[in-house]
Amino acid sequence: MTRPGGELLALQREVETRARDAGLQVPEVVYEVVDHRELNEIAAYGGFPVRYPHWRFGMEYDRLVKGHDWGLQRIYELVINTRPVVAYLLRHNAPVEQKLVMAHVCGHADFFRANAWFAHTDLNMLDVMASHGARVRALGGQVGQEAMETFIDRVLSIDNLVDAGALRRARGRPGNAPPLDGPLAPGDILGFLLLRAPLAAWQQEVLALLRDEACYFLPQMLTKVMNEGWASFWHSRLMTGSLLRDAEVVDYACQHSGAMGGDDGPMNPYKLGLELFRHLHDLAGGDRGGGLAAVLEARAVHNDLTFFDACANTEFCRTHGLGTNDEEIAAARESTLASLTNGGQPVLRRLPGEGPDLELEHVWSGAELQLDQAEETLRNLQGLWQGTVRLHTRLEGRALLLTCGSSGVTREYGDLLEKPELGA
Amino acid sequence: MAAPEAGGGRIERDRARFSAIVRGHIKHDLRRYVTGSELIGRKGRHLVSIPVPRIELPRFRFGRNGRGKGQGEGDRAGDDSQPGEGAAGGAAGSQPGQHLLEVELSLEEMAQILGEELELPNIQPRGRARLTSPARKFASLRRTGPRSLRHMRRTWREALRREITSGLFDPKDPRVVPVADDLRFRSWKDVARPDHAALILYMMDVSGSMGREQKEIVRLVSFWIDTWLRSQYQSLEMRYVVHDAVAKEVDQDTFYRLRESGGTKISSAYALAADLVEQQFPPSEWNVYLFHFSDGDNWSGRDTEKCMQILRDRLLPVANLFCYGQVKSAYGSGQFKKDVDQALGGDDRVLTAEILDRDGILPAIKSFLGQGL
Repeated sequence: MTRPGGELLALQREVETRARDAGLQVPEVVYEVVDHRELNEIAAYGGFPVRYPHWRFGMEYDRLVKGHDWGLQRIYELVINTRPVVAYLLRHNAPVEQKLVMAHVCGHADFFRANAWFAHTDLNMLDVMASHGARVRALGGQVGQEAMETFIDRVLSIDNLVDAGALRRARGRPGNAPPLDGPLAPGDILGFLLLRAPLAAWQQEVLALLRDEACYFLPQMLTKVMNEGWASFWHSRLMTGSLLRDAEVVDYACQHSGAMGGDDGPMNPYKLGLELFRHLHDLAGGDRGGGLAAVLEARAVHNDLTFFDACANTEFCRTHGLGTNDEEIAAARESTLASLTNGGQPVLRRLPGEGPDLELEHVWSGAELQLDQAEETLRNLQGLWQGTVRLHTRLEGRALLLTCGSSGVTREYGDLLEKPELGA
Repeated sequence: MAAPEAGGGRIERDRARFSAIVRGHIKHDLRRYVTGSELIGRKGRHLVSIPVPRIELPRFRFGRNGRGKGQGEGDRAGDDSQPGEGAAGGAAGSQPGQHLLEVELSLEEMAQILGEELELPNIQPRGRARLTSPARKFASLRRTGPRSLRHMRRTWREALRREITSGLFDPKDPRVVPVADDLRFRSWKDVARPDHAALILYMMDVSGSMGREQKEIVRLVSFWIDTWLRSQYQSLEMRYVVHDAVAKEVDQDTFYRLRESGGTKISSAYALAADLVEQQFPPSEWNVYLFHFSDGDNWSGRDTEKCMQILRDRLLPVANLFCYGQVKSAYGSGQFKKDVDQALGGDDRVLTAEILDRDGILPAIKSFLGQGL
């Protein structure tokens, strides 16, 4: 891992100057030049060079290495939301590729600083992750690697049980997670476990730091489409606007279409986000009208769900193959919105009550939980709570109550509900 | 320079742990979450399936409960890829799944699995067989050096020590500013890295009694031996000798394909092997592994005596290991193994195994390589 030399620094200066002139708030960005092996490793750790030890990172690494060795995948860019923003450049990329990556990174860096959902983020995360790693290692040395890993596995199984709406309460405080001294959001089940579950001191500590990491990554899940779309919108604008030399056009076009293409259809997040921003830009009158102001405002206030809802009108859906008539378009919009809600994760919240049991409700949005997985997950939750856990959900048009005690999960079906689910 | 290496070790440990879970060595409760997904790669004109096992921790997630409950889609893809007749419909265009080859474990991975399954010890190369090649290792510090090699932690420690001893340090305002004297730089020294080389010499009886199945068994045994030894040595040299009544050295391809007929004089092969080792592979530089496969028939008792003499006087003094594998054939008497055991059974560098059929391959490999010689 090395810092960029003179040529790359000159490129960086050029790209960032253009980006700032165009209206982006580009904070300080530090590039690290790495080879593909290092990049695969850092990517496996979610962008951070040092994390706690866990097989899941090894699994990710395994996949990345195999994909790379067979020439199937490559990582275009890797950038993390810290102060300064850290981004990685592949050592052997051609200058035009480095330029493209830098222009793309400018978009991400601006988004991290400007978007409301990132306002609470602890920007010292590079150090925080490393110290989490050191703590887990040290505690693991005391309680044993097996016990530590088993506990982490359990927590990871439920680490989506945080409340996106409560994130802003972490603003202006160290850490990414909402503080535990105020009223607790109903979706913050990890927070509730921290306060009330009978955990050993080391378990408390590990749970707290995993909750913090989950809250750090959550905004990125909620804004994946926008974040990638915004970065692509800007690399495309900056490159074709001023940065490209004549000889680089074909290479750039190749790179760009490589990132935008793929079999994922309209849900390739790069592509969908890019087209939404372009659509909004045109709607608001393009560069001569209020196009730029409109996209700058949108990137500051929206998340994926509200952004798609606000921008994907009938015309957009028709142009991009999301349906041909009103009915199809309405259905496509509905299903896309559902997939963007809460980052595509079901919303669970705790029902009020002071009893010894943990009572949860799956907030119905029209889609069922995967039942076998839900039961396994309940067991993990029960293991942490060390008491009975109940979950109210729906299955095949009936209310379903899953109860997990120390002996396993039981199912109780209610009557057929009058209103069947929305998206059959 | 040192930092990425330390990091690499970290991710390799995580990866090893993951592999151990997938193979069922540790944490059995996680094994039920293993799903077999795959990457589709391309090798020449063929598509290859590269297995990428995953462990999916259970989560609250949206799912399809009606269809295919509990069955991951990844599992089904494997079945679909077989070109079944039932699927011969109109959809010829989009799916290029015709020639899907199931690979791809690297040989290193296979060697590792083999080693784990058979609990093979890592080989300790003999002291005498040691070559060294120079290598640099960053292992010390000095006071001068390029900025890129600054050792931050040691520099700060020096600065802190200086400030404390000189009374400049104020715990209320713990600022530590290094001066030129505090700077420490990484420095290397030359170390001699041992480099081991190994010779594997295969000898096979190709007389009339060794049939196709016997050769196939020899091929399989040698393949796995190759794979294992390759994982243990940086440089490996392979030589092949075939014999009936006379011996000759051949290349690998010929070794596996040749079918001669005629009588059997095992001593001819041993004499040739001894010449080869003496002329080309001085034991001061090479670890020598000798493998001999036959069906156990030899021409005469006198020739067998000659064999033992060559083994004792010329081959064993230079060899790490001599392995004799006796493949059962319809014609072989199986006498030679008894002779070897009787004459040299006490020497722990001499190993013999009888391979009755394909099921005997793994036990044979284990008995050959199980001692880590």
